[in-house]
Amino acid sequence: MTLFLQTVLNGLVLGGIYSLAAVGFSLVFGVLGIVNLTHGIFVVAGAYGALLFFGQIGIDPLVAIIPIGLVLFAVGYVYQRTIIQWAVSRASLVASLVVTFGVAMMARNGLQLVFGPDVHTITPAYSFMSLTLGPLRMDVVRLVALGASLVLLVVLALVLARTHFGRAIRATAQQPLAAELSGLNVRNLHGLTFGLGAAMAGASGAIIGIVQPFTAASEVAWTLNAFIVVVLGGIGSPAGALVGGLLLGMINAFTAQYIGPSLTQAAMFLVLVLMLLVRPSGLLGNAFGESR
Amino acid sequence: MGAALSEQSQAGPTGETLLQVSGLAYDYSGVSAVSDCSLELPRGKITALIGGNGAGKTTSVKMIAGALRPRSGRIILDGQDITNIPAYQTVELGIALVPEGRLVFQHLTVCENLVLSGHVRRARERCQQNLERVFDLFPRLKERQGQNAGSLSGGEQQMLAIGRGLMTMPRILVLDEPSLGLSPILVSQVFSLVRKLNEEGISVLLVEQNVHHTLAIADYAYVLEKGRVVQKGEGQALLKNPNVKEAYLGLA
Repeated sequence: MTLFLQTVLNGLVLGGIYSLAAVGFSLVFGVLGIVNLTHGIFVVAGAYGALLFFGQIGIDPLVAIIPIGLVLFAVGYVYQRTIIQWAVSRASLVASLVVTFGVAMMARNGLQLVFGPDVHTITPAYSFMSLTLGPLRMDVVRLVALGASLVLLVVLALVLARTHFGRAIRATAQQPLAAELSGLNVRNLHGLTFGLGAAMAGASGAIIGIVQPFTAASEVAWTLNAFIVVVLGGIGSPAGALVGGLLLGMINAFTAQYIGPSLTQAAMFLVLVLMLLVRPSGLLGNAFGESR
Repeated sequence: MGAALSEQSQAGPTGETLLQVSGLAYDYSGVSAVSDCSLELPRGKITALIGGNGAGKTTSVKMIAGALRPRSGRIILDGQDITNIPAYQTVELGIALVPEGRLVFQHLTVCENLVLSGHVRRARERCQQNLERVFDLFPRLKERQGQNAGSLSGGEQQMLAIGRGLMTMPRILVLDEPSLGLSPILVSQVFSLVRKLNEEGISVLLVEQNVHHTLAIADYAYVLEKGRVVQKGEGQALLKNPNVKEAYLGLA
């Protein structure tokens, strides 16, 4: 029983991180219709950013989330308004798949060039503390990571639900023409949405940096994780990302504990295929519905 | 109160013509959809643009609203050239297009749909009054303000689409096929609503296939065929025109 509870706890923590790492991908997919294969780069860039802030000037990764988010927001906005926008307007939405794949490849090699191929970790003072609750044990960093992820997800959900900016993003996702006719600058909103997605990915990267080792090559796994989370939970909403992320976290934790750590990937893909067969729109469906 | 959404308070001193469109043309990837659309919209009147399927009506009004960029031609609003101004900015100049097929934001509530367009700069300060005004006009929308727009009936969605346009306090309300897919009773209601809004001072450009109803309320009308304006005249006169009768009213 203790083992079971401990596994659930591990799954929750992992799931919270997966959710945050995927929510930007989900938003971009839902609003712009773009499968952004550069997403994992934003995550890893966030982790490297946190590494720099921590290593060079000793700023805690959780504080570094703010500057990292701002920088990645700007990078994401410019990237969408230039390269992605060009590809989509000259060819098609599918072209963005090829373009983002290519950019991801270049960025991964660029990161390797700058930071080297070695595995990095970030170890703030609280890294080696742990809490015990009866027989259960949990590292403080992991709880902090889960908490920070949940806070950011809730903030994003509130922004989308309650603000004019959030309404504008949702409206643009559903009916771009009507959004334009309602006075919304759709191209600009697409850029802002992409920037927001990149910022959330960067924030998750800073958090991931304190709980897991990472390299430039980790970006592939984070893009893939985001994709699976979206398929499981549903496109476009923080709630969908949370559900999908927690599910993926649980699958991972339980497979590693009860079947074998080498089979986690296999289990993830098995569930992915099953979900696509049974409920292709994900558990919570597409937040923007059939209107696309 | 009645004039809250109209332009009476800000009507300029200029002449009779509010909007002048000349020689608009548009191609969809090489295929001509509109080759020569020219029309004038008198201030404070109802002007109709009629024609069959594929005549280029929707393409024409999309160009006027800035949602499509014309290949050639000019659009002049109150003396200002607005030909290449995008749609999100023509709204600020007072042109509101209620698009064909309504295109309400299905997963936003009724209230969110309205407040979103009411947030344009020209109307932002009066958003709350405008909302009340739209709810006065359409009590059904008030009852359903918290529901998702996708759950509304077709007629209610049309009301919402018109309300969304009114929230921007338009000088020109462009309605693209507002009667499409509505029951006969609702069609009559839409036409009397158009008349009512016009009486409150909003200039209307009405695009319709329902020629009979349209010509009955239009001050002036243009007939579009294969992308060009082939006839024009006062609504009542066109109603009696033998060519129009034969082509659009099914009468020989």
